[in-house]
Amino acid sequence: MNSKTVHHPETSMLLEFSAGTLETAASICVSAHLHFCAHCRDSLLRLDQVGSKLMEDSQAEPVDEALFASVMERIDRLEDGASEPDKYSQVGDYPPSVNKLIEADDNPPLWRRLSGSVDVASLKTGQKKFEVALHRICAGGKTPKHDHGGLEYTVVLKGSFSDERSVYSEGDFILRKPGDTHQPMGAQNGECICLSAQSAPIKLSSPLGFIMNNLLRINPR
Amino acid sequence: MAAQSNPLQSSVKRSDQWSNLLVAVGETRDRAAFADLFKHYAPLIKSFAQASRHEGWFPGLNEDLVQEVMIKVWQKAAGYNPEKASATTWIYTVARNCRIDMLRRKSNTQHLPLENEDYWHEPDEETPTLLLQQKRSEEKLRESLAQLPKEQDEILRKVYLEGKSHAETSEELGLPLGTVKSRVRLALQKMQILVPAEFQDELTHEQ
Repeated sequence: MNSKTVHHPETSMLLEFSAGTLETAASICVSAHLHFCAHCRDSLLRLDQVGSKLMEDSQAEPVDEALFASVMERIDRLEDGASEPDKYSQVGDYPPSVNKLIEADDNPPLWRRLSGSVDVASLKTGQKKFEVALHRICAGGKTPKHDHGGLEYTVVLKGSFSDERSVYSEGDFILRKPGDTHQPMGAQNGECICLSAQSAPIKLSSPLGFIMNNLLRINPR
Repeated sequence: MAAQSNPLQSSVKRSDQWSNLLVAVGETRDRAAFADLFKHYAPLIKSFAQASRHEGWFPGLNEDLVQEVMIKVWQKAAGYNPEKASATTWIYTVARNCRIDMLRRKSNTQHLPLENEDYWHEPDEETPTLLLQQKRSEEKLRESLAQLPKEQDEILRKVYLEGKSHAETSEELGLPLGTVKSRVRLALQKMQILVPAEFQDELTHEQ
């Protein structure tokens, strides 16, 4: 899928993704973005080439001669058995990594009402730093103005939303940090579904927000 | 008029020795080809394993990684597409994923439902022009990698080979995170890995 994404992860994130050093929650979001963005896939392939050249040029380490035989033995055993079935099948038209997360969860994520226009479904990822979740904003839905208590990665999976800065459509990757205050609104022409990873709860900016803010939690699963 | 093959497509197909061997393993389960791949790549994968400075990695895992990677290579070879990447790049990605997954399986703090390779969804469509740039960049890459200033080369090695995050790298070298990121960016610019100029204005890099 190649929609025209406008907002991309910064290069250093792609590089960490390529090197395998990006943390899990961020990797899930980058992987969802890559599903939509041919341009970043292209950059990623080049970054992978850097890693492969570094590996190729490193000093070869002699391996034990018995190793090849032992690999072939394990391969023979694998070939004898039934071929490994694909662990996951497609459950929806989300990017594959999101589908796999949903499928791998024994308690399938359920939509839960967050406000009049926003639903949330928390995804089980096994790491404890970020809550990874799907957010659904109804068509034209207004969300409360808020600041961010920590890092928040967002990838638009369906539809679009806007805030004071820009319009975000399918595949767009957005990073928000503490101090980035905004008020997202769903597009008028249909619901918007986003994947997000938050390291801390949002902070509502309204005068009465301080009451609500004590109730806001993240629940990494 | 004779049907013409797509010149862009035909010019990007990898035909180096290793890519041909990997195709043979994928298409005909060619064991002799696999043995040749093993001879070439097993020592490189072991070296990649040995370079790891991940917490919890120990020398006993080095040959385990070689085994895991080569078994995956056998199993997944049918999915290898020489038009997309060279055998070396493809095997590097398998090794990188296996290395992370082995570490995660050993750590008791994370019980992740997905393996690292699950994040590696293979997009099936590519635009030929991008692939052509890809091939060119691959040819130039080794050369430009060798010409990088030491301070940039050092960071790339820490990230790719040792498996350090930018934050860990900055801590270890006693450099601000911003400096690590800008050295990385400079290195990628020199190697022409960054976004081609014609795309630049479309990008809004989130900072």
